Amino acid sequence: MAGGAATLHSIEEYRRGYEDEHRLRGFRSACGFVSATWGLRCPRCGRSDFAETDLATTGRLAAFTVQTVPSDEFLNDAPYAYVLVDLDAGGRVAGWMPGIRTEAELAIGKPVHYVPGYKPGLQFGLTSDDTAKSERP
Amino acid sequence: MREVWVVGAAMNRFGKMRESGREAITSVALAALGRAGLEPNSVQHTFLSNCFGVAERQAHLGPLLNTGLGIPEVPSCTIESACSSTSAALHEAFVHVAGGFADVALVAGVEKLSHLNTLAATSYFAMGADYPFETCHGATFPGLYATLANAHQAKFGTTAEELGSVAVKNHANAAMNPHAHFQKPITMEAYLGSPMIASPLRLYDCCPFSDGAAAVVVAAREVTPEPAAEPLVIKASVRSGSIADMHDRPTLTGLPATRFAAEKAFRQAKITPKDVSFLEVHDCFTIAELMALEDLGFTPPGTAGKMTSSGATAIDGHVPVNPSGGLKAKGHPVSATGAGQVVEIFEQFNHEAGGRQVPNVEYALAHNVGATGGSCSVHIFGHR
Ligand SMILES: CC(C)(COP(=O)(O)OP(=O)(O)OC[C@H]1O[C@@H](n2cnc3c(N)ncnc32)[C@H](O)[C@@H]1OP(=O)(O)O)[C@@H](O)C(=O)NCCC(=O)NCCS
Repeated sequence: MAGGAATLHSIEEYRRGYEDEHRLRGFRSACGFVSATWGLRCPRCGRSDFAETDLATTGRLAAFTVQTVPSDEFLNDAPYAYVLVDLDAGGRVAGWMPGIRTEAELAIGKPVHYVPGYKPGLQFGLTSDDTAKSERP
Repeated sequence: MREVWVVGAAMNRFGKMRESGREAITSVALAALGRAGLEPNSVQHTFLSNCFGVAERQAHLGPLLNTGLGIPEVPSCTIESACSSTSAALHEAFVHVAGGFADVALVAGVEKLSHLNTLAATSYFAMGADYPFETCHGATFPGLYATLANAHQAKFGTTAEELGSVAVKNHANAAMNPHAHFQKPITMEAYLGSPMIASPLRLYDCCPFSDGAAAVVVAAREVTPEPAAEPLVIKASVRSGSIADMHDRPTLTGLPATRFAAEKAFRQAKITPKDVSFLEVHDCFTIAELMALEDLGFTPPGTAGKMTSSGATAIDGHVPVNPSGGLKAKGHPVSATGAGQVVEIFEQFNHEAGGRQVPNVEYALAHNVGATGGSCSVHIFGHR
């Protein structure tokens, strides 16, 4: 894909990916940076030398917060967690986890996985440590 | 480049305004001009910020302000950079005056949101972040900064008491500031007992929803050789940017935009952090003040909590931080915040700060962040 970025997915396609197609669309830049965030150039190296890729749907918590005051679209879900997830094989995305009431339920590094089909937002669930181990080589 | 001075600055009391944003900013702009000993007709350009004017069903406030000031022919434009809007407007005014495109420029910022409920205000503020990649997944503004606080705690062991020391200090300072939204000190016990908003941030870690208006008048030194009050010389006026989504940045424990702006500002002013007498930093949440001190180069990464707990950033400390009470306690009417920081510095330079007066002021630094650091301003002020 040297030089060309014409086939990159749109923001709407990213949303449809996790809402309807059970996939997380992203890109991998020639500099090594992997992300889901839309752009026509890599935000790290400024080049357009990147390739469309599907990101892993499993990963580990990079940072999180449990929100008791919700945003308007999550009015009936509080408290819930807003999470940043380091996906296996690269890329960090933002998402949320329903049903989390206190920060003690989560920890940075805990394995999580994408939970398809729940709207709105990109939803993650806790992966039990056993499952996580068996999924890893 | 011409030398540029802040010759006047004024604000109203942040908190809840009864009048409209338009009425408030017009009186405050007149007051700022009054401090400079200038009439409105000396203004050659107005740079206005009013991010959430739509909450009052109003856009394009610049011409209304200028009309209200009796200078309808003066050009105006609206400068938006989320929470750093009026410091961005100040930078534009600086560029105009330094470059000779105007001799006197008015910088004005106003916000009125207190008529909205918590949910609506929270939704407005969230618009400063990336909707499809951050906020549509449930993040509020406290939530975004809470995520940074979580990462900071994990990396450096930053404690609740260290975050709390920022809140206790800034509430204590605001208690001596008649312009402040909150004018009551809080105790560490009250801080620790305040409800969680977005873990680890509690109510007392957060800036409030404030209304407010603030204005600054800048002028070329050569056109105002004898201003009515002691002017601030703008030694550095720097804007910076960084990757908008914090999860795409290389770090979650600081704001790259602050680092970029600080390095450039210290070079421009030809001083180092050691020369700074006090700072007004962007403490929209307590964690933001800690990251600011680290990113601005006042203390190594991970140590600002200990520095604050030790009292080093209190008004009688080694380097006072947010003597005004900061966004945390003076209040954060988004578009008035950057200009409000300059009002504090102006009052300090003119020995008008009462109980929060910092002794022997030589240089002061103002740091103002847009959203989670997609944009940032650093200004350094000195004496003539
Ligand atoms: C924390 C927050 C959710 C609280 O808002 P709220 O729930 O509407 O609070 P209320 O107006 O119901 O106030 C409840 C009480 O707490 C006080 N209070 C509200 N916010 C406060 C704050 N940030 N700090 C200290 N006290 C606060 C009020 O004065 C009130 O006290 P009272 O009962 O004695 O009158 C809100 O202030 C907030 O979201 N702040 C962050 C704003 C923001 O994101 N700005 C942009 C940053 S970049």
